[in-house]
Order: sequence, then structure tokens, then C-alpha cells
Amino acid sequence: MSELLQFHVLIPWILGMLFGIFVGATPGLTATMAVALIVPVSFYMPDPNTGLAMIIGVSFTAIFAGDIPATYLRIPGTPASAAATLDGHQLARQGRGPFALKVDLLCSCVGGLIGVGLLMTIAPQLARFALRFSNFEYFWLAILGLSMSAVVSTGNTRRGFMAAALGMLLATIGLDIISGAQRFTFGNAELMSGLGFIPVMIGLFGVSEVIRSVVAGLDNTMGKTPAGSADESNLRTAGGALWSHKGTVAKSSLTGTVIGALPGAGADIAAWAAYGLEQRTSKRGAQFGTGEVAGVIAPTSANNAAVAGAWIPALVFGIPGDAVTAIVLGALMMYEIRPGPLIFEQNPEQVSQIFNIALITQLLLLPCGYLGLRLFGWILKLPRSLVMTGVLVFSTVGAFSLRNSLFDVTVMAVFGVVGYFLEAKRMPLAPLILGLILGPMVEENFRTGLIKSEGSFLPFLTRPICLVLLALLMLAFVVPPLLRRFKPRQT
Amino acid sequence: MTRPSVFFRATSLVGGLLALSGCAPQSASDSANLYPTKTVTLICPWSPGGGTDRLTRFMADQLQKELGQPFVVVNRTGGSGAVGHSAGALAPADGHTLTMATFELSTMHWMGISELTWENYAPILQMNADAAAIMVRSNSPWQTLDEFLDAVRANPGKLTMSGTAAGGAWDLARAGLLLAADIPVDALRWIPSKGSAPSVVDLLGGHIDAICCSVPEAVTQIEAGEFRALAAMSPQRLKDYPDIPTVHEAGVEWNAVGWRGLVAPKDTPPQVLTTLQQATSRIVASPEYAEFMRKNGFAIEVRVGAEFSEFLSAQDTQWRDVISAAGYAR
Repeated sequence: MSELLQFHVLIPWILGMLFGIFVGATPGLTATMAVALIVPVSFYMPDPNTGLAMIIGVSFTAIFAGDIPATYLRIPGTPASAAATLDGHQLARQGRGPFALKVDLLCSCVGGLIGVGLLMTIAPQLARFALRFSNFEYFWLAILGLSMSAVVSTGNTRRGFMAAALGMLLATIGLDIISGAQRFTFGNAELMSGLGFIPVMIGLFGVSEVIRSVVAGLDNTMGKTPAGSADESNLRTAGGALWSHKGTVAKSSLTGTVIGALPGAGADIAAWAAYGLEQRTSKRGAQFGTGEVAGVIAPTSANNAAVAGAWIPALVFGIPGDAVTAIVLGALMMYEIRPGPLIFEQNPEQVSQIFNIALITQLLLLPCGYLGLRLFGWILKLPRSLVMTGVLVFSTVGAFSLRNSLFDVTVMAVFGVVGYFLEAKRMPLAPLILGLILGPMVEENFRTGLIKSEGSFLPFLTRPICLVLLALLMLAFVVPPLLRRFKPRQT
Repeated sequence: MTRPSVFFRATSLVGGLLALSGCAPQSASDSANLYPTKTVTLICPWSPGGGTDRLTRFMADQLQKELGQPFVVVNRTGGSGAVGHSAGALAPADGHTLTMATFELSTMHWMGISELTWENYAPILQMNADAAAIMVRSNSPWQTLDEFLDAVRANPGKLTMSGTAAGGAWDLARAGLLLAADIPVDALRWIPSKGSAPSVVDLLGGHIDAICCSVPEAVTQIEAGEFRALAAMSPQRLKDYPDIPTVHEAGVEWNAVGWRGLVAPKDTPPQVLTTLQQATSRIVASPEYAEFMRKNGFAIEVRVGAEFSEFLSAQDTQWRDVISAAGYAR
């Protein structure tokens, strides 16, 4: 531990984390990209611990930083932050953006700490549990996730389902991994790998926001309400909000870690699941989507916990839990660290060093994240025209840099226009994003499951974890309407 | 044709970002040499962080030292590798845009994913080839490839195997193995997956019976005693894993490798190709290269120029037959 707390380790570590803040907060530049960019730099560090610290530091900060533009501008910096565009952004519109982000920062730290804590204590058990998930279980998990579209469509369920269906339809474009057939590609090689999720997301949220402010001719200041200047929150008030929702923090962090530990699901799904779970179980569920603090706490605790969770299968089996850990595993090989069942026996010092780095990262996240949210807070003081120009520039760079493809820039622009019209017709965008993420997960797992079972539907209904997920689905969507029907007669 | 100029301006922007991130270009020194006269773009058809990307970045670093101009890696992903490969083939043939070609170049035109074949390129040097192998759980009843194939024959359509998407490298390796062993291709059901990692999970969890992928992709589990490698699809035993028998030892005449190699656009001038072949030959002979490949678990297999072309031509024929027999031909 002490060899980590030295200047030659801490300085690159913190610089790496600040880099993570910048990349994560830039729409279109994802946490995956932040890690991919820092890995070659880390190889230049004389001490392997420094390199490892940079890589781990970046992966955690980028996920938090993605929430900053999601809250201030309603443009998620990374896919894992899409859920923060709901209540976090509503709070910002009420002039309480800085408060929402301070809560967010604390949640990210605490969520990360809980995730790392679970990683340190029950990683092998959780990893064994995750192995029991096969296509049948992932199918129900994805269905459960899709059902959140009803939750996040704030009021109008029918429009929510329509948007989710549109998202699922768009997700079918490309090469089908099950049959190898091409769908809706029109012979275009760029379409073969499908519509990029990131360009679609920045288009729907970022570019459409720019179009809206141009068309509506909004006044040129970002702080929308007079209350914008009246936000006198500090970390203490944010901490107070956290304390009064400590159950939510614990529940969401646990959900996040478990979902992160599943090799087939990552931080983005974890954030949505925690949000949906909290909405369904909270007494103030109806207020979700209007700027409810619990709606900020749940997804932001879960997404950082999921980053820690993704390390569980990575360390125990050497199998990446998501795209970020896939890159990290590649980098670890270059450090001659080979995670897997043997690492705990053969190289326990290395494992505990990784744990220490992950723990300290959560604590460093506080100052680094605070600096980040203060810096980005200036956005609100800038003229709107300048901010929107910046959004357009960064969105374009983000969409392009993902695959170095101009085609993706076109996709982004098209979905900017689509997003603008959908919103004008009061179609919620969040379910569309859910459909886009989960559509392929539902379809691929359903069809692969059927191949495994030779066409039998039974395993979907009889496997134990499937039953539990099915029961959850029933509890969330069938029982409450029934109760509502019977209640008036009883009272 | 205004598109390339926009493309290159933008890539140099990204190159600038990369340069900032640590791969600072060295200044051009020897202007006596005609090539390279400016920054060289190395196209990687796969995403950042993956194996091919790591190899491409290593080569960029080394080539920069050898040839004194910046070499910048650009990831052009999509379309199962088709996007990057075609960008590399359509680039100006002056040696300033090179491509790290991979296995998919030999198969994608037969499957109707792209029109491209290896003949659209001037091969420079093959850097690596990883043989496919069959792995099962240690607690499974099959000790040898023979026993496994007998089980497949006895219960056609019952056993399952995974490793890539349908029609991916390891699926075709499986299909070729079955054909060579006179077993119908659908006797061993292929479970499509997004790559070898999810299929390793599926095998660990007992949801499938076997996997087909390169040995390094499952080596952690083999070393930990969770998996048993039944056979590698190579003519000789693998240098790095001499304990794994080959399929030939079980009497099946079949080889399947995933390969990577550096190629240039077709009409690249011969003197440029010579410079590149010499530079890359020096690199692959260096201890740094051996060390890099060892750390990553990649097997070294070098073929230069004409020899690389012959290899590519042979691969093309081999996979055409398998692809049509497996029903993936378009």
C-alpha cells in the first residue's frame, strides 16, 4: 500500500484520472476509449504499479464524468450515463445541477467502494454465480431491462413502448451473428456492423438539443431559472441527501456490482436496472423523472459499482465483464499479469495490489471529480450559442473518432434530426436507447438459447434463475395493477 | 473526389491526439530515402485494445524507429473487418497507407460480405498465425480427439460447440475439421457467440460441450486445470504448447489458423515494398518482437513477399471449399 502513496505513482495516477474526466465528459468519447488511449501511455511508466493505477483510475473516473454533461446538458458522456439524463437533468433545469452532481460524485465513490469491497471479499463466489447465467437467463434479464422503458417514459407508457420498439428495430440493422445474414444493409459495408450505438446516442441527445435551441431561439444564457444562482449546495448537503437515502445507495451498488459481474452485461445496463428497481420500490416512484434525488442516486451508484463488478470475472477467470475490462486484460498481459483461477494462489501480492489501487482510486475520485464538476460548471455561465457550438464540435469529433468513420458522423446528424422530431411529438428518447442496447441482447440470447435447447422453450421457463427473473417481472408489472384493482373495495 | 482529403485531414487530427497521448513522432531525418516521405497510416480493421490492435501499435512503434517517419495507427472497424480492409485496399498505392490484414480477408469475399480478395493487395509480411484448437472441460468424458469425434458421430446434432459468430474463423475451423473427418457439418452444433471470451464462460458454466478457438484464448483455464485441450489444427505440435496433440495424430488431415500480416495497396511501387519488407523482416527478427509476441501469447509465423502471397492463395482455396460445404457461401 505504501509504495502506491508516493509522488511518482500518485502524480501520473491523478493526471490519468483527470484525463478520464475529460474523455468521459466529452459526448461520444467513451470510457472504453479513455482506457484504450491511456494504455499505451501507461507502458512508458517505469513502475508497473503506476501504469496499473493509471488504467484503473481512468476506468472509474470516465464513468462518473459521463454524468456531468448528462446532467448539465442532457447529453450522456458515456452510454453508462444515459440514465442520468432523467432526474439529474431535471434537477439541473430547476437550477440544482451542481447539487445533483455532488450527490452523483459521492454516489460514484460510495458505489465504487461497495463494488470494490464485494470484489475483495466474495469475488470467487460471485464469479461462480455469474457462470450459471446462460442465454436463457440473459434473455430474461434483457426483457426485464426492456420493461424499464415503461418506467422511464415518464407518464406515457404507450409512447414509451413505441420508442423502445423503434430502438429494437434499428438494432436489427447489420450482420446477424447467428446466421451470418445481412439485414437492412443495402450492400453497404459500413452498415454491416449495424448503426453505431454511440453516434445514435449523441445524435438523439446532443445534436437534437442543438437543433432545438436554434429553432426555439432560446435566450442566450445557460442558467435557465433564477434559482440557478441560488444553488448553495456543498458536499455536506449532498452527503446529507445521500445519508437519507442510504438504503438506495446500498441496494443500487449491490445491483450494479452483480450486473457488472455478469460477462454479458455492463455498467449501462446496471444503471438502468438500478433506476428501474428504485422507481418500482420507492414510495415516491411517481415523482421519478421530475428531479427526484433517488433517481440520481440509484443509477450513479450502480454504474461505478458495475465497473468494479466487471473486475470479478476478469480476475477470477480472466474473462472480461465488459469492453473496458477486455482492454484492461490485454494491458495486464503486457505487464505479465495473467488473471485467472491461478492468480489468487500464485500471485496474491499482485491481486492485493490491484485491490489497493482500486480502493485508493475511489478516494482520489472525490478531489478529481470535484475539480471536474467545478470546471464543467463554468459551462452554465457561458453564452448558450458558444456551448451549443462546442456540443456540436465535440459530438462530431466523438462520432468520428469511434471508428474513424465519416459514415458515423452522418448517422449522428440524421439521428439529431430524428431526435428533434420525436421530442417535438413528445416521444421519450430514453426507451429508444434502451431498445437499441437491449434489442440485440434479447434477440441473440433468445435465438442462441433455442439453438442450445434444440428448439424447446422449456429451459426459458424451468431454469431456476429464469424463474426468479420471471417472478420479478410479474411482481413489477402484473401484481401492482391487480392490487390497484382490489384496493378500493377493501378500504 | 473530395472525400479522401477530408478523411485524411480528420485522421491526422486523430493522429495528433494520439501523438499527444505519448507516441510522439520523431523528426524526419534521412531525406535521402525516397520512402517514406511523410506520416504513414497503419489501418487496423479491428477495435482498439484487441489483439490485432496491440500488434498494429507495436509495429507502428517499431517501423517508426526503423524508417524515421511517424507511423500512426487508425482503427477502421465495422462490417466484420470489411470496412478497414477495403479502406486499406482503396488507399493511394504509395506505401503511405498500410493495412494489418487478418484471417477474414481469406473468407469474407466467399461469404458475400465484401468483394475484396488478397489480390487487391501487395503482401508485405505475415507476422503471426495462431492455430485453432478444440477444448473441453476437464471433467468431460473425452480424453482425446478420437473419443470426442466418436461421440459426435454417435449422437449427431447433440453436442454443442462455440467460439465465434456463425461463419467466423473458429466456426469455419470446426466445419473444416468435421469435413476432413467425414462427419456431416451439422453433427456438431455451432452456438454463435460474440467471441471466444463469452464461449469460454459458457464452457466453464457447463452450458456447452466444447469450444474451438486459439490456445492462448483459453490458456488461463487450461493451466488452471479447468479445460483440457484435445487437439490443435496444425501440421506440427505448437512450439509454445508441446503437450497438445495435433489433429493429424488422430488421423485427420486438416489445418486451420487465424493469421495477421502487413499488406499494402496492390500497385505499390516495388522499391517501396522492398524497403518495407526489409524493415519488417528486421523487426520480426528482433528480441523485442519475440518478447512482445510471447507476452501476448501470439505464435510467430513469418512469411515474406511472394511466400506470403502463396500462403494467401492457398488459404483462399481452402476456405472456399469449407464455406460452401458449411452453407455460408453467397
